[in-house]
Amino acid sequence: MRRFLKIFKVAFHSIYKNRTRSLLTMLGIIIGVGAVIMTISAGEGATMAVENQISGLGTNLLMIQTKSEHKAGINVRMGRPMDKKDFDVLQKNSVYMPNLSPLLAIGAQAIGPSGYKSTMVYGVSYDYFYITSRELQAGNFFTEEDVRTAKKYCVIGETIREELFPGQDPIGRQIRIDKVPFTVMGLLTEEGTGGMQDMDDIILAPYTTIQNRLYGHHRGYTMIMASALSEDHITNAKVEATELLRESHRIKDGEEDDFEIMTQIELQEITGNITGILTILLGAIASISLIVGGIGIMNIMLVSVTERTREIGTRLAIGARESDILTQFLIEAIVLSLVGGLLGIVFGVIGNQIIYKVTDFFIPTAFYSIAIGFGFAALVGVAFGYFPAKKAAKLNPIDALRYE
Amino acid sequence: MPLKKVIETKQLGRIFKNGEIEVRALTDIDLVIEEGEFVAIMGASGSGKSTLLHIIGCLDRPTSGEYYLDGVDVNGLNKNQLADIRNQKIGFIFQSYNLLSRTTALENVELPLIYNRTGQFTNSKELAQKALEQVGLADRIYHRTNELSGGQQQRVAIARALVNNPALILADEPTGNLDSTTSIEIADLFVQLNNEGKTILMITHEPDIAQFAKRMVYLRDGRVLTDSLIEDRSTKESAIKALENPVTT
Repeated sequence: MRRFLKIFKVAFHSIYKNRTRSLLTMLGIIIGVGAVIMTISAGEGATMAVENQISGLGTNLLMIQTKSEHKAGINVRMGRPMDKKDFDVLQKNSVYMPNLSPLLAIGAQAIGPSGYKSTMVYGVSYDYFYITSRELQAGNFFTEEDVRTAKKYCVIGETIREELFPGQDPIGRQIRIDKVPFTVMGLLTEEGTGGMQDMDDIILAPYTTIQNRLYGHHRGYTMIMASALSEDHITNAKVEATELLRESHRIKDGEEDDFEIMTQIELQEITGNITGILTILLGAIASISLIVGGIGIMNIMLVSVTERTREIGTRLAIGARESDILTQFLIEAIVLSLVGGLLGIVFGVIGNQIIYKVTDFFIPTAFYSIAIGFGFAALVGVAFGYFPAKKAAKLNPIDALRYE
Repeated sequence: MPLKKVIETKQLGRIFKNGEIEVRALTDIDLVIEEGEFVAIMGASGSGKSTLLHIIGCLDRPTSGEYYLDGVDVNGLNKNQLADIRNQKIGFIFQSYNLLSRTTALENVELPLIYNRTGQFTNSKELAQKALEQVGLADRIYHRTNELSGGQQQRVAIARALVNNPALILADEPTGNLDSTTSIEIADLFVQLNNEGKTILMITHEPDIAQFAKRMVYLRDGRVLTDSLIEDRSTKESAIKALENPVTT
């Protein structure tokens, strides 16, 4: 043990003697570990943002739409879309879904007095505001009566206001959505950019109006949105909706549904999977820089072994065993990569803070990213340090002593 | 009581094979060196003295014959055992000192004790200090090797060879890199150490340095040509005198 400590000291000493070179060698590991930590943390941050965004939609949400089919590598919804008949069946018979709203999504150009913007326009019923629990910072929602009579009213998000009414009060003003004039009734409270999608880049209008003026009646609804009585009733609501729709669509036992019901939890799981894969992918790319850093260490260790051939010869001559030399150089490589790893952690954590300060995108430094970064650095040290160390240990002492 | 044999070789031979070509570096070397001897090995380059030193120093193995170091049959040892033998029984001194650069004299001298596995040198620092005092460097203990002169560096190397109290000190051209006066001082240090009971084997091609030894072995073409005691050994005083008054012919 004492001998091991001394060999450890020798390794530290040699790193310290060549501190400039050691630092440059470590740079590869520092950047690698920092990159791993920052990318994994960014992935975690994105996951969190998306999850917040989805739960912001309401925690007991159900989305009912036609079945999606996998065709030519993409998912397309080819079946009969949800329509008024489905909506009526659900609204009339449902026990677990007190709020239901058709949703017609359409991309359109919105033109205001001081600007224009391409955006998503959603045709919805009054219930939509209950379902998604969105609130207003000014004005009013359109009413059930407005929906029934297909008034050309709309509620806009903050991003739309900024583009169409910079510095102005939009309430009561006119905008044109694909040439159709609408009166702005309300302004939604800001939800913020969730990282992926701007929740305020949105226009809501009565679905009846959208159907009449922009979407047409033959296409049915994009989907039906519903909220369950409470989170505990989501499964019940899903079963209920499935039964009602199967009956209404006259689907025989054993045949597949021609529609799809996605709950908010399932949506969260799916996006969680996607961002999870993204995180792994980013982390893997960052790990490549760690491997490059490891090659840097191997390179320097090989140079170091060559440079110190005589020293190795001397050590062998005065009684060092091969294993002593192997240990010495291996420790040197591991210490290089571990110190680099520690500095990389500092670099990564500070980097996360800087990104947060600059972009306002919160990145939680995931503890496991630190563990992965550091563990990987240690592994790189052993893996890339072993070959040069073995080379040093296998030197013939006579040749090594003569080496100039 | 007969003196202990530090080195005993019987019919020692070493053949280097380089493809088809065989080179006989050493042939039938019978050499006995007893405790307390100071032997100089001389010979032209290519005479096999380096090969002999490597075998005696357990860095190389003979291809034929037997070799006993301090009573141990070296031929039967594996690599690790050879390393331990070098560590415990031999003190090496090299022509170019082979010290660790930018490292203190003390740490350099301590080095063999780091690799010692017997656990008998727990006070390595004190031992290193004592060895440095022995070679007259008590006031240079914490100097880094690059701050020392050539002669001082070689003294550090000698201290390193002494620190593990070896059975044999092996010096390979110890004065090869030094000027004449310093060479004489180093040679004189060997004489002192020998007087204190150390067994020393020194390879040199400088006759005036060999003249400090008690016995001279002359090699030629891998064989012992002459092996004789030295009658009029040089002393520091006589050598310096000779240096100051070169014999003119």
